[in-house]
Amino acid sequence: MDILFLLVPLSVILVLLILGGLWWAINSGQFEDIEAEGERILHED
Amino acid sequence: MQTIISLESQNLPANTSADVNVWVALDEPSEWTNFSQAHNNKVQEWESRLAIEGMHCAACAINVEKALKAVPGVLSAEVNSTSGRARLVWSAAVAKPSDWMRAVSKAGYRALPAADAFIQDDRRKNQRLMLWRLLVAGFCMMQVMMYAMPSYYASPGEMTVDALNLMRWASWILTLPVLFFSCGPFFSSALNDLKQRQISMDMPVTLGILITFIVSTAVTFEPSGWWGREVYFDSLTMFVFFLLTGRWIELRMRDRTAGSLDALMRRLPSSVERLKSDGNFERVAVRNLNVGDTVRVLPGEAFPADGTITLGTTNADEALLTGESRPVSKVIGSEAIAGSHNLSASVQVRIDKIGQSTRYAQIVALMERVAVDKPRLALLADRIARPFLLAVLFAAIGSAAFLWHTDHSRALMAAVAVLIVTCPCALSLATPAAMLTVSGALARSGVLVRRMQALEALTTIDTIVFDKTGTLTEDRMTIGKITTDVSMSEMQAIQTASAFAQYSLHPASRALVEASKRYPQTELNLEVVNVQEISGSGLTANSIYGHMKLGSAQFCGLDNVLINQLNDDTSKVHLVSEHGWLASFEIVEAIKPDAISAIRALQENNITVEVLSGDRLPSVQRIANMVGIHGVFANCTPQDKLEHIQALQQQGHQVAMVGDGLNDGPVLASAHVSIAMGQAVPLAQAQSDFVVMGGQLAMVPHLIIQAKRTMRIVKQNLIWAAVYNAVCVPLAVVGLLPAWLAGLGMALSSLLVILNAARLSRSVTPVQGAV
Repeated sequence: MDILFLLVPLSVILVLLILGGLWWAINSGQFEDIEAEGERILHED
Repeated sequence: MQTIISLESQNLPANTSADVNVWVALDEPSEWTNFSQAHNNKVQEWESRLAIEGMHCAACAINVEKALKAVPGVLSAEVNSTSGRARLVWSAAVAKPSDWMRAVSKAGYRALPAADAFIQDDRRKNQRLMLWRLLVAGFCMMQVMMYAMPSYYASPGEMTVDALNLMRWASWILTLPVLFFSCGPFFSSALNDLKQRQISMDMPVTLGILITFIVSTAVTFEPSGWWGREVYFDSLTMFVFFLLTGRWIELRMRDRTAGSLDALMRRLPSSVERLKSDGNFERVAVRNLNVGDTVRVLPGEAFPADGTITLGTTNADEALLTGESRPVSKVIGSEAIAGSHNLSASVQVRIDKIGQSTRYAQIVALMERVAVDKPRLALLADRIARPFLLAVLFAAIGSAAFLWHTDHSRALMAAVAVLIVTCPCALSLATPAAMLTVSGALARSGVLVRRMQALEALTTIDTIVFDKTGTLTEDRMTIGKITTDVSMSEMQAIQTASAFAQYSLHPASRALVEASKRYPQTELNLEVVNVQEISGSGLTANSIYGHMKLGSAQFCGLDNVLINQLNDDTSKVHLVSEHGWLASFEIVEAIKPDAISAIRALQENNITVEVLSGDRLPSVQRIANMVGIHGVFANCTPQDKLEHIQALQQQGHQVAMVGDGLNDGPVLASAHVSIAMGQAVPLAQAQSDFVVMGGQLAMVPHLIIQAKRTMRIVKQNLIWAAVYNAVCVPLAVVGLLPAWLAGLGMALSSLLVILNAARLSRSVTPVQGAV
């Protein structure tokens, strides 16, 4: 069970990394207009 | 003063020094017209719109209102918590915009002048931050749950103490971002309330979060201490996540509801291409346009101001402004309405009206006024909210005291559940959410709601009184019966007449041309030359029939015998050649195409329909027969109309009046509910509760259906909020409700109210559907 002492801290770091990624995604505007992106494929250029 | 502000700005993140600069810039009177207009045409009195940020519930709206009203020079202030907007009237002699902006900021909120471009940016920043808070809470919650799971399933002794502590510390670390970042809005709002010595719904939530965190932290670092042996990080992160989810969806729904308002308000482009004297175009800001300028509007752009097309033809989308869903064709000389969209081709427009005098600006002003109009039920809910919150605090203390002797930590968590589970928001959101949604939906179909309370009154209406001209009938004329000489067929007569009527703009001429289109276009090819219009009498022209006249009996020289043969008293146009009488055309008022079905829909729902007109009895009777109305009252002066309405009311009827909003203002005002058919009316003058912008009669039964749906949903919401609190609070007080479930319940109860109201934005088709 000693592996827990490595994996649990690792999981904490992983969550923080994921949150960092989400922060980037939000601030680059990826969640701004979800519907339009889905409809874009239906429209001709 | 300046130093005080900068000190405060360290406490309140919303209040930055950039804000202070904006406030000072707003004190410039030239800026005021961007977000204000003169109030009641008084010099020095202004009516301004603000967007307020940081409000979560009705209690917040009251705080902002109080703060605004406390500023000397502010004459009135109304704040709507659902739309996040405020309307205030202030005297420029006493106050400056920076004064009341500062007051809002001091109360812990942030005010922005509405209709200002940076609201959009601010809103986006807000949404991003909110989503980020939600996601932080969500991911941390998932991970904390993982760490909590083993201790739920492991039998005593199965996990080593070290492993257990490791899990708790990891949970503790991941709870920190939730506490310090995600919970930020709860804390800052609760702190503000403390400073102001008042209470709002964030206070109990904050207390709950803090108690849970303190208990769990103490247990983590001192497992065998006084606080017990349980940690509640999973409950904490979970209810924060649920609450934030509720808030986030609420924010999105509010933005969407405010969307129909905003869609209207943001329709004007910020800049437009103006024709320079050398024939080239330059891009200028719309607010720098002047009357008489010529601008080029490209396809896809909105018209920046009311104007006349001077070059090119196109189609325009006027749906939001008139309710007309089909594109309207625009040729040279047509009027373009500010805020309508140019659909097909680039056109040049000469500007006739700008700024606040455009029809668009009047609509926006009306819509904004409605957004802050509070219905009676909402006021009641607002009054209940505060004592309700105090009761919750006492219930939480009572609950903790009641369970204290069994287990400290369990007693504290029961108190937390009480604090979290109660939801005054559902109570205070119930009415405004529904009202705002329905007025947004109605606005999309071309009906402006001017007084929210009228929706409530509309549900009990049993009598509807219609005005005739402009309400049941169109503005234009149409051709009724055609009488001809034996030598001519009806078709020949109307084609001959329209051949020279097409050169005239008189309503009767236009009716003839319109009527001729109903017949097949033959090779008649009648050539007319020398058409002359004798104003007020008729037309003369030369054709194969010789010299011809089209006009009144006197003008055509008809003798009395013939007139008597044609008898009756309807108005007529005659066609004569130099050889004698050829044909007579009856000119009648056209009823609106949807009049018959609309009246029938009303009658089928047991509503008595009457027509009340100042016109002569025969013509009123004729229209009434066509649309199927039995109660006919003609030859009425405005005074008669007023007395008739009042008599009906004295007999105990609930009366709605439908008029054109201009001539029958006092009559409209005296009815329980008034509806104006507003095609031709300056909106600001329309004295009515509702304005049907396109003048469609089908909107009257539609309005009643919508009003009934609205009141049904308001009642459902209020009952739900009451039942929810009545069931959950006692459960939490006796300690049967875990904190996470309390958070879920609270978020869901608010959401349910909002979602229920959102059903109203799905519009039913006019006329059809049960009332």
